[in-house]
Amino acid sequence: MITTVTVAVFVVLFAIFTALGFGGSRWRKGNLSELGQWALAGRTLGPYLAWFLVGADLYTAYTFISVPSALFGVGSVYMFATPYVMATFAVAMVTMVTLWKMSRDKGYITGVDYVRDNFNSRTLAILIAITGIVAELPYIALQIVGMRSVLIVMLAPYFGGTGVAGVSETALIISFVILAAFTFWSGLRGAALTAIMKDIIILATVVVVVIAVPLSIPGGFAYAFKQAAATAPTIFHKNIAYATLPATLGPAYISLFILSALQLYFYPHSINGVLSAKNVKSVRMSTAFLPLYGVGLFLLTLFGVLVYAVPEALKMVGTNGSLVVPAVIASTMPDWFTGLAFLGIFIGGLVPAAIMAIAQANLLTRNVIKEIKPNLTKEGETRLVKWASVIFKFLALAFVFVVSPTYAISLQLFGGILIAQTLPALMIGLYHKSLNKNGLIAGWAVGILSGIYFIEVANKFGQINTSLMQSPFGLLYISATSLILNLVIVYAWTYIAKAVSRPKIVLPAQQA
Amino acid sequence: MDGRKIAVGLMLAIPTIVLLALPLYNRTTPVLFGLPFFYWFQGLWLFIAAALYVAAALVLNRIDRE
Repeated sequence: MITTVTVAVFVVLFAIFTALGFGGSRWRKGNLSELGQWALAGRTLGPYLAWFLVGADLYTAYTFISVPSALFGVGSVYMFATPYVMATFAVAMVTMVTLWKMSRDKGYITGVDYVRDNFNSRTLAILIAITGIVAELPYIALQIVGMRSVLIVMLAPYFGGTGVAGVSETALIISFVILAAFTFWSGLRGAALTAIMKDIIILATVVVVVIAVPLSIPGGFAYAFKQAAATAPTIFHKNIAYATLPATLGPAYISLFILSALQLYFYPHSINGVLSAKNVKSVRMSTAFLPLYGVGLFLLTLFGVLVYAVPEALKMVGTNGSLVVPAVIASTMPDWFTGLAFLGIFIGGLVPAAIMAIAQANLLTRNVIKEIKPNLTKEGETRLVKWASVIFKFLALAFVFVVSPTYAISLQLFGGILIAQTLPALMIGLYHKSLNKNGLIAGWAVGILSGIYFIEVANKFGQINTSLMQSPFGLLYISATSLILNLVIVYAWTYIAKAVSRPKIVLPAQQA
Repeated sequence: MDGRKIAVGLMLAIPTIVLLALPLYNRTTPVLFGLPFFYWFQGLWLFIAAALYVAAALVLNRIDRE
């Protein structure tokens, strides 16, 4: 239920949250070298409490808004998020530990530092850095879409006659201004100081919502699945498969799940978080436990079907799937709790967006600007980071408009296509260090260009609502196709270059 | 190769391999708590994966200590 109490709870909690964030920047002088202190709790608290808090970082607008929305609007193929989070922690336990150990020995702070050093190529390092920066943009946009969704549902009763467009625009402006102000003034320090409050509110929200909501719906999941099958055609004017995966979508499911699992930890903000950890053993152990947090994501995904059993929520949602979770909460939970949960989802988008923006700015100064202009002063660097993070947020905002909110997950998947093209250097390069640097550059170029081309074709050069493409094997996540093209080039180049450069017999006359 | 490392590799890979075998679980029955098999089977594997990963982490931490 949404009443004045809901709004009051939201506003008061947000005021406390902001006070902590802004107060933090004055409380101690910000130290930019601690930018990567994402897993702040992991350093100062015991491993179990650390796990408890770090896991909350899994809950962003992706979990609360985009995945349930995609299940609602497209169907069971978006269930891939569950095997994806399950698999990604296995990837992290292997690759991140390798990267962490190398970084400890050589003093790397970003993943790009590794590429720069190992492949000894400034061009390659700059390209990888820029790719990471750009790939974060749609992911930030997804968080803005999430924040907006909460505000739309909360504000709708107060707008009455003026209609959805007015609410939506107001909500977007509020979300964006708050995000920009938050990152500009308090930076990651603010994000870190508010982390514990954020984590507790988010976890409380997840635990209560995933248990109480299904129980409060008469008939539960069985009824919801039946209603979904019956009602979806009247909403979307086509059949949507919910109960199982249509056989034709098998390749899509597998490629989405595997590629997403490979990509997640190679986003700049994830790498920075891992590299800043003090102890590799606790990183490994807390990562091993993380699939348990996937249970919350799994249950939240199901809200995309559950919404069909809540007529009031279904009416609020209309065809805008991004409203699924907030609408179901508002329709089934008491007003004060709705306020708390909405705040949880709101800052669940705000904090990750801030962390991503800072990772971008950090990468820009350290691995791009300083490569070109090495004599940058400390003050100049700080000023640059601050302004870059604001500019990046405007660029992210532009991405909000290229996707319809129901398919906001495509924003993250589009960013993923770009990140995948850095995997040959960043991930495979960890184990196969002799890859040819020019081959890596050529592979990257082919991967990026083909990825962008495929996504444009798949969406008929319009709004990006899908990241799947037709292939001889059926629908595939574009990331898979482009990464394969990329790898073919990298390996072909590496082997050809090796064959060509084999030492030849040099005649004495030629040596002079 | 060290037998323990092979065991670790398996413990980390098994959950993914099982969920790659789509035909194994892409069906509606048996239903649990109103959820089709396709859903609850994958949810269940989150728990199994955590158990296997923790076992793998314990072994890896021991290998690192040596």
